[in-house]
Amino acid sequence: MNEIKTDVVIVGSSLAASGCAKRLVDAGLGVIVLERHELPRHKVCSGILSPRGHRFLFENFGPLPREILHEPTFCKGVTFHFPSMVSIPMDFFGGPTPHLNRRFSDYWAIKRSGAVVHERTTFVRLEDDGKFVHIEAKKDGDEIRYKARFTVGADGPKSRVRQSVYPDYNKRIPWFMVGQKFQAVIECPLDDDYFHFWFHPGLGHYTWSHARNGRQILGVGFPLGGNLHKYHANVERYLREKHGVKLEPAEELEGCSHNFGPSLINRYVFGKGNVLITGQAAGFFNMIAEGMSCALHSGAIAGESIVEAAQSNRPVQQVYRNLIASEVRRCTDQWNPFRIIFGNPHEADFKAALFKLDKKDRKMVLKDIARFLKIYAPYKWGRQMLAQSLIRELKGEYLSGRWL
Amino acid sequence: MQIPVIEPGCIPPDPVSPDSLKGIPRQQTNPARRSFENWKDFVGHLRSEGVFVREGKVESSIFVTDAGGLAFGLPHGVVRPNSAEDISKLLKAAQLHRVPVTVRGGGLTTEGESVAFGGILLDMSSLNKVLKIDAKAMTVRTQAGIFWHQLAEILRRDGMDYLSAPLNLTASVGGTLGVGGIDVNSSRLGCSSDQAVELEVVTPTGEIMRCSETENPELFERVLLGYGQFGVITEAVLKIRKFSPLTMQYYYYASLRTAIEDLQMLSKADAADYAGILTILDRAITLLVAFDSDERRKEFEQIWKHKLRGHGELGFGLLMARYYLLRPWKMEEALYIASRRFKLFPEFNRPEFMRDGKIIDRTVVFSRAVWKFWGGRQMVIPDLSAKAEKFVEAVERGNAVCRKYFKYYTLYCVGIKLKGNLPRYEMSCIPQDASDIAYGCEFEPMLRDTDYSRDYLQSFKNEIYDIGVDMGLSYYRFGGMMKGYIRRVFGDEMVDKHLAMKKAADPAMILNPDVIF
Repeated sequence: MNEIKTDVVIVGSSLAASGCAKRLVDAGLGVIVLERHELPRHKVCSGILSPRGHRFLFENFGPLPREILHEPTFCKGVTFHFPSMVSIPMDFFGGPTPHLNRRFSDYWAIKRSGAVVHERTTFVRLEDDGKFVHIEAKKDGDEIRYKARFTVGADGPKSRVRQSVYPDYNKRIPWFMVGQKFQAVIECPLDDDYFHFWFHPGLGHYTWSHARNGRQILGVGFPLGGNLHKYHANVERYLREKHGVKLEPAEELEGCSHNFGPSLINRYVFGKGNVLITGQAAGFFNMIAEGMSCALHSGAIAGESIVEAAQSNRPVQQVYRNLIASEVRRCTDQWNPFRIIFGNPHEADFKAALFKLDKKDRKMVLKDIARFLKIYAPYKWGRQMLAQSLIRELKGEYLSGRWL
Repeated sequence: MQIPVIEPGCIPPDPVSPDSLKGIPRQQTNPARRSFENWKDFVGHLRSEGVFVREGKVESSIFVTDAGGLAFGLPHGVVRPNSAEDISKLLKAAQLHRVPVTVRGGGLTTEGESVAFGGILLDMSSLNKVLKIDAKAMTVRTQAGIFWHQLAEILRRDGMDYLSAPLNLTASVGGTLGVGGIDVNSSRLGCSSDQAVELEVVTPTGEIMRCSETENPELFERVLLGYGQFGVITEAVLKIRKFSPLTMQYYYYASLRTAIEDLQMLSKADAADYAGILTILDRAITLLVAFDSDERRKEFEQIWKHKLRGHGELGFGLLMARYYLLRPWKMEEALYIASRRFKLFPEFNRPEFMRDGKIIDRTVVFSRAVWKFWGGRQMVIPDLSAKAEKFVEAVERGNAVCRKYFKYYTLYCVGIKLKGNLPRYEMSCIPQDASDIAYGCEFEPMLRDTDYSRDYLQSFKNEIYDIGVDMGLSYYRFGGMMKGYIRRVFGDEMVDKHLAMKKAADPAMILNPDVIF
């Protein structure tokens, strides 16, 4: 059977893929992007992009068209809510950020990257012979083969590319589920301009709400296997009782599973040989629950690495792992307690907001955070995070030996 | 979904929110490769006129990036002109078919200014002949694609020398005149652009014109320091001087502020023929002075030497030893400085380039040292230029940024003499509030063989550039990927004024399109 030959095959067509494709196409390499759906396709996402990601989109893909945004078109910042009923709103440093409609934003970005997209093409498996990567995929049920110098897995948390390189990886990490329901508003005192987040161990690992296109989103994250409806009903009741949020029954719901955790403890997965893993597949996830800006940047770095490796004739993994160190620092610093206390790794100023509170409230908030963190105890991340943070202070960087 | 097309130079309002990204108007700094439906017609048209377009991928891949290594783009074709007429034909056809033309000399830009994002790359290095050396008028007429080291070599045969050139001599004369060109003697002689007496320019619409201070002065003032927007320089008449060997002296400082104050004192008083600061981190700061003649040196030693607050080498060595003995945890830094000292300084007085204690060829000595000790795969050298009063603060703030991002770096500071209040200084590397002498500082990390992501290097540069916005300064190079800064630095009114001039001179906006507009 004939193989389609190209320089690089990127699996996935979302933002990490676009960042990667942009770098490769600019350098004149042939790029084919495999997307299993037909574009534009739907994607489960809060759509809140950090200012850093917004800048990346501008600089690389040009001015954002109105069509790629939801209503409200922007998000001013994040509001943290605590069980002690203290709420802290924080504005992003860079000003309001886009509320992306992922269906169109991803389509726009991949088109603007200039890469060739093969739609309705599902990645099946790959084989790296050291010189070329041979890829098997399915298009509308028919087998289709590719031969490329490099392959980039930018296919999200349940990455199939990662699976084919590390078959048992998915069994080795804890999985989470996030689900969001869209509900018409009867009464909602939550400020539409902010993304709301609850540090409440009784509600879930990750509980949020924000406005979209006239409806309110209530979302909750919990360990895989939990019941979304139960968690969601609990959150809805809590918001009604404590915040006076009255909503109609849900019209729509969506959810997906998450590989939340690798960025906390510096356990990223970057691939093997000529296969690179990037974006959320590699484990990038920001603390304010935003993965798009680090997806864009890590994707771009994967692309740069291939360009650099091809130019300097060096092993691509070596280059990728050197280049990605800056993005690892950016992302993991956001979870690093020392950086949070002594530095300012986020794009909003939590510390300043905390110090604006009076002493009593501040104490309560700190206690609430400590209590919230306990729900992560079963994963035994605390000690690892602390150790990684210490190494970061001493060596100035995170150890690359922990990456897969 | 329809993807909108954005015209060059146009920044539509951000639909996110007026104050998103702090309300700073942003534009795409990493342009996509343009595509052309009429490319074949364009190439055919040129071929019929005798201009050959090289279209092979191998040909264009050579030019995929510039010295900065952060911007990548492929031209569709490369043109190596044989004459100004070739360029004229090319630009006329480009106007007609609306195909962008990016001009490249040595490709030493750092923000992608000489990278073509599609269209034609005009490789000027084919126009590299020296046409006439006029010993009476003390000028040289040369084609503009020549590199400075080639020019120096030819001038030396007649016992002549150029006045000032950029330290990196693989820059082309034309490219340098378009952006500035700062040498260690610029505090005395001004930037390289100010050495031009007359130019031959092909305008964006393809007319070949001569210009000077008396002939077509408007074009002359636009093309010099004009970032390639108003014409392609094909020939230049430059001032020259008699060649003279030089003697160099070093003074060592532990404080940036003191060294800069001394540099400014010397520059203002025209006390030395060459004066600049070169540092190893912000610990070992060397004030370098040099003289073309013994008379100047003696005068300096009588009047100025005792006023300088720098140390001699031995004294400074002892000072450093004390500093680091009290701070043993900084031993690595101490070793770095020491090794740098022992490797770098002998390079400036290698016996083969010395006669009687004088450097007989500064061109070779400086450019060798530059490539050997500061060169690398990538040039990352953001800079700031400021009027005298703001300069110390600018350097200190930039130094703090270097410290934050890199373990090892160098700062390089020199003065730039202004030749009066010329229109060419408007919207250029010369800060708008400067008079008499402006000062520039380059911040250069030692990248060596370490790999850095583009985001990391660009973040570093942006942090330096932000100081410029904050303090109202300018930059030696503000084009390319930092074109987003131009409106922040110079304001909308000034930029729109120049944009209007550009549109009038270049209706299809094809010449060096992604540089500043």
